[in-house]
Amino acid sequence: MAEYTKPIPSPDPVSQPFWDGAKEGKLTLPRCSDCNRVHWYPRVICPFCHSMNIEWVEATGKGTIHTFAVQHNRGLVARGWGDEVPYVTAYIDLAEGDRMLTVLKGVDPNDPESIEIGGAVQIEFEEASEDVHIPFWRPV
Amino acid sequence: MPGEASKAAAIIGAAEANDIGYPATPKSSLTLHIEAINNVCNMTGIPIAAIDGIFSAGWSPQLAEYLGLHPKYIDTTSVGGCSFEMHVHHALAAIHAGVINVALVSHGEMGFSQRFTGGKGTGRPFGGGDPWDPGTQHTSAYGLGGAPTGYSHAMNRHMHRYGTTQEDFAEIAVVTREWATLNPRAVMYRKAGEGDLPPLEQGEWGGGKRGHTFGGPISVDTVMNSRAISWPIKLLDVCLVTDHGGAVLITGPEIASTSKTPPVWIAGAGESISHWNMLEMNDFTETSAGRSAAAAYKMAGMGPEDMEMAMIYDSFTVTAGITAEMLGLAPAGEGPALWKDRHAAPGGRLPINTNGGGLSFNHSGMYGMQLLVEAYRQLSGTAEDGGFSGDPGKQTSARSCVVNGTGGTLSTTGTLVLTSD
Repeated sequence: MAEYTKPIPSPDPVSQPFWDGAKEGKLTLPRCSDCNRVHWYPRVICPFCHSMNIEWVEATGKGTIHTFAVQHNRGLVARGWGDEVPYVTAYIDLAEGDRMLTVLKGVDPNDPESIEIGGAVQIEFEEASEDVHIPFWRPV
Repeated sequence: MPGEASKAAAIIGAAEANDIGYPATPKSSLTLHIEAINNVCNMTGIPIAAIDGIFSAGWSPQLAEYLGLHPKYIDTTSVGGCSFEMHVHHALAAIHAGVINVALVSHGEMGFSQRFTGGKGTGRPFGGGDPWDPGTQHTSAYGLGGAPTGYSHAMNRHMHRYGTTQEDFAEIAVVTREWATLNPRAVMYRKAGEGDLPPLEQGEWGGGKRGHTFGGPISVDTVMNSRAISWPIKLLDVCLVTDHGGAVLITGPEIASTSKTPPVWIAGAGESISHWNMLEMNDFTETSAGRSAAAAYKMAGMGPEDMEMAMIYDSFTVTAGITAEMLGLAPAGEGPALWKDRHAAPGGRLPINTNGGGLSFNHSGMYGMQLLVEAYRQLSGTAEDGGFSGDPGKQTSARSCVVNGTGGTLSTTGTLVLTSD
């Protein structure tokens, strides 16, 4: 595998089930057993009802683009991403609720008008290391 | 009906460090603090030794040590550029409660010169350094870093939701620059080729390239043709990165009456937060200024219709546009129209950012102190006097001002309603 030069997240005990799912190509999300709401990022307490009964569920991996931007300035982005400018970052509304940040694949950063807020996207995972597969999203 | 704490204290003086902007010879952040503190104490006639409460964005223990003070109240609230508006809120509460008599709010930051000295700025756009921090863990993979890379998402969402355009936001930069051309202390006061400013090394912002005409008036076209930074944000939608030091003194009415400079009353104050990492921002077209302003207006017994001017944190054009809506100065989705229709401009019905703003006056990384200094200068009628730190600026006739700081990534807000006698 070619060396992955961009930042690789550090899984922690709270988020480990998400990263375990990612290795199998699945989006796994934390859900409150009491109010049944999904939240992101993972927590030990539900941010909506403050229950500590959190379970993990396999999600559809479907979402829509909430908003996006095109990163043009290599000096303002993290090491490794500087070589990728321009690239498109986006916040994704998950089908199950709440929102993730991502980099959009399969879009033209030089034509932002062609990227649709509200447009449907599907998750995919990139193997950054043996332990960490990073979620990205792509228009359907 | 004003709240109990309304006008329990006043800002009795506000001053800046001797050299701000792009100084030829850099001074340390601490020196910028101390110059401003010395200036505000000279200006008011209140000795440094009388200060018994210190409020700063992390510097309070160092300031107390350096000045040999033993304050009774030590506040280091550091939640981005709005920290200073929160400090005023906290100082008002501490004075109202009888805990302290003379509060110092202080700021010093070599936002520009740090790149020559190897120093480190205090700006920290996203979360902490802990790799397990959930905000860091679930966003760092995508490379977002400098503040513009986040704010652009809010601007795009505003454009999508309300049909605003990049040109609408550009109007904010144009009018704010117009104010700067009336303020000799503003970095963008000078026209290209005038003055003896050091070469503009924008560092990480532009790799040392000069991307735009330096100083003087600009047009919507100038903004639209400036370099793309983080679409839809362009270079001239972005604030400056400069050096600044500033300090204000806050006291109750009794001590205020002994000051050499007039009081500007803290009629209302409020603060709030919606998120820290933008990942947790619920509505990208709203900030917590809706809540912090409601608290400030309620304490003041006043509303947005009573405000004769506004000082609004403008880290980006979008920050100012959205915040104007949150403060009730414009309907939702119509913030930028305040500038486009020239209400916010010199001679308009609601002057906004009369110093030239973070966009064209000075922005050191955190801009909340600059808001306070200019609000004091305007309401105390001392803008034309120049004070200790420079030249006379444009004086408005305003006697009330809403001040709003925004910190983090549209994360935190502090709102003040200030009035003069």
